Amino acid sequence: MDVLKPALVLPRRKLLLGATGLAAAPLAMPHIARAADPIRIGVLLAKTGSIAAQTEYLANGTFLALEERGNTLMGQPAELVWLDEPSPQAATQNMQKLVEENKVCAILGGSLSSNALAEEAKAAELKIPFVCDNAAATDITGKNCNRYTFRLNTPVVVQSRMLAPYALSYGKRWYHITASFAFGQDILKSSRELLKAAGGTEVGADEVPLNTADFSSFILKIRAAKPDVVVGGLAAGDLSTFLKQWNELGMKGKIPFVEIAIGDTDIWSVGAEAANGTFTKMWYYNNPANPPEEKAFAADYLKKHGKPAADKAWMGWITAKSLFDSIDAVKSTDAMKIVEGLEAWKFQAGSTAYSYRRFDHQMLVRNLAVSVKDKITDKWDFFDVKATLPENPADLQKVFGSEEEIGCKMG
Amino acid sequence: MLDPEVLLSQLASGLVLGGLYVLIAIGLSIIFGLLGIVNFAHGVFFTLGAYFALTLYQYFGWPAVILAPIGVGAIGMIAERLLIQRLYDKEPLVSLIVTFALALLIEASVRLIWGGIGQPFSPPPFLSGIFIWGPVLITKYRAAVFGTTVVVLVALWLFLEHTPFGRILRAGSRDPEMVGLLGINLPKVLTWVFGLGCAISGIAGVLAAPLWTITPAMATNAIMPAFVVVAIGGLGSFAGAVIAGLLVGVVIAMTIQFWPEASGAMMYLFMALMLLLRPRGLLGERWERFE
Repeated sequence: MDVLKPALVLPRRKLLLGATGLAAAPLAMPHIARAADPIRIGVLLAKTGSIAAQTEYLANGTFLALEERGNTLMGQPAELVWLDEPSPQAATQNMQKLVEENKVCAILGGSLSSNALAEEAKAAELKIPFVCDNAAATDITGKNCNRYTFRLNTPVVVQSRMLAPYALSYGKRWYHITASFAFGQDILKSSRELLKAAGGTEVGADEVPLNTADFSSFILKIRAAKPDVVVGGLAAGDLSTFLKQWNELGMKGKIPFVEIAIGDTDIWSVGAEAANGTFTKMWYYNNPANPPEEKAFAADYLKKHGKPAADKAWMGWITAKSLFDSIDAVKSTDAMKIVEGLEAWKFQAGSTAYSYRRFDHQMLVRNLAVSVKDKITDKWDFFDVKATLPENPADLQKVFGSEEEIGCKMG
Repeated sequence: MLDPEVLLSQLASGLVLGGLYVLIAIGLSIIFGLLGIVNFAHGVFFTLGAYFALTLYQYFGWPAVILAPIGVGAIGMIAERLLIQRLYDKEPLVSLIVTFALALLIEASVRLIWGGIGQPFSPPPFLSGIFIWGPVLITKYRAAVFGTTVVVLVALWLFLEHTPFGRILRAGSRDPEMVGLLGINLPKVLTWVFGLGCAISGIAGVLAAPLWTITPAMATNAIMPAFVVVAIGGLGSFAGAVIAGLLVGVVIAMTIQFWPEASGAMMYLFMALMLLLRPRGLLGERWERFE
C-alpha cells in the first residue's frame, strides 16, 4: 500500500491556486517579459556554396553595425538571427521561419540575384521589410519591386552603363562570358544593348553554368574568336576560377577582361600572379577618397577581424546601418513604420549622401572603376581606383534611370 | 567554318578534365566495390588534398606537396576506424546519411581552419606556359596533370592485379566472408582500402588545386561528376571508371564548344542515355552481394 508522506500532501484548493498563480504570472508582469525579449532582425545569407566567401564578409559587416550600437535598438537589446539561403525555394522557407518562429521584425540579406528575386516576393507576401544587400539583378528594384523591399547594390544595367566606356576603350569587338542565372543573363542583356548602341559587334557569347570548375574549353573558344575585349558576367568563385585559368592558359595581358561588380574576396582568391582586369565595384577599403565615417568602419573592421574590410563587409554594414537607423528613428518594430523609416532614411558621410530613392527603394551610390595593379605587393591591396562614377554626383539620378525607365510600380 | 585546331585542343582539354574525374571516381569505385559503402564524403577528401597541398607548399615548398595525399589517406583511415566500419552491416540509406554528415563536418572544419574565402594557388613556375604541338594547344601544367594521372592509374592497376594485397582486395570485393574464412584480417584490409580510396581522391585535389579555386565548398564540383563516372563506368569497375571519366571530360568539352549553356547538364544526359542502353554501366557486372 502506498503511503504519502504528510510533507508532500497539499490541499487540492491550494494546489489549484498555486497552479493558476503560476500560469497567470506572465500576465502580471508583461514589462519583465518584454524587457527580456530582444528585438530580432533576420539575416538571410548563404552559409555554403560558391557565394559563401562573400557572405562571410556581408555577415561580418552586418554584425559589426549592430555592435557599434552596443547591440541595442530603441534602447533595448537586439540580436541578429542568421539563416541560410541555399536555393531560392529554401531561402523563402527560411524567410517564413524567421518571421513566424523567430519573430524578426525585418530581414537583411539576398546574396544571389536568383534568391533575392524570390525573397522579395515572399517579403511582400509576409509584409516584412526586406533590405537586400548584395543581389544586383535589375528587376529587384525594377518591374518586380514592392513596398517592403529595399536594395543597396547598384542594378546590373546601371553598372554596365558605367563599365561600357572602359570596354569600348579597348575596341568594339566584344566576347561575352556570363553566368547562366539571373545575374549573368541580366549582364548579357544590358551589355548587348550597350554594344549595339555603340555600333559594336559581338564576336562570341557563352552562358556558363553556375559552379563551373574548368573554363579551359571556354577560354580556347575566346582565344580562337580574337575579340578586342572580354566582357564577363561571372559570379564570385566562378570569376576567380576563370581568372586563374585565363592566366594559366597564357591569356593575361593578351586580351583585356572587364566585368561589373567584382568583390574583393573574388580577386583575393585569384592571387597576385593571375589577377587582372578592369571592374566596377561599390567600395574599396584603400580608396583615399573614403569619407571619415567609412575610414572609421574600415579601422574597426581591421581591429576586430585582423584583415581589411572587403567591399562586401561595407555592403553588409551600410545596409544594416540603414535598417537600424530607421528602426531607431521610428521607435517601432511595426513593419510599415520601418518601411516608412527606410524611405526617409538619410546618411551623410563626408560629401556622400546615402538614401533610398522613394519610387523604387534603390539606394543611389556612386561606384568605383578599378583596375588590378601592375605590381601587387600587399596580398589584400589589388586595385587602383581609376574613377568614381558618375564623375559628377549630380548625375546619379540620371545614371540610375528615371521612374519611367525603371518601370517600378509599387501600387 | 569550325577550326580543327580548336576541336583538337578541346579534345585535349576534355581529356585532362576527364583524367581528374577518373582519379576522383576510381577511389569512390574501389571503396564501393570492397566496402559496399556509397561514400558521399568522398569529395571532401578531394578538398583536403587541395588544402594540404597549399599548406605544405606554403611551409616547405613544392616538393613537400607530394605528402598531401598521404595525409588525406591517413585521415581517411581514421574516419574508417571511428565511423565508417560501423556502417558495414547497416542499410545503404544509413551509410548515405552518415557519410553526408561526415562531408558536412569536414567542410565545416576546413572553413574553420583555413577560412571561408578562396585561397590563391598557382601552378609551379617550372610548369607555367603553354605547349603547341601541331594543331593542339595545351598548358604545360595540364599536360603534367594528364601525365601524372596516367602514372597513378597504371601504378594502381599494377598494384591491384599483381600484388598479394591487390588479390585480397579483388577477392574481398566479391566474397568478403570467404576471404575472412581464409584467415585474412578483413577489417584491417578494409581500413587500408578506405585510406587508399581517399588518398587517390587527395591526389586529384592536389592536381586540381592550381587550376580550381580552393574553397571549402570545392568538393561540390568534384563529387557529382565522380558519381556520374562511376555510374557510367559500372560500379566497382576500374576500367569502366577510366573509360567513363575520359568520355565525360570529352563530352563536357565538346558541349562547351557547340552548346555551352548545356555543358553542366550534358554529363547527366549522357549518364541517363548510357544507363538506358547498359543498365549496369559500360563495364559493370552482376555482383551477387549487391543484388
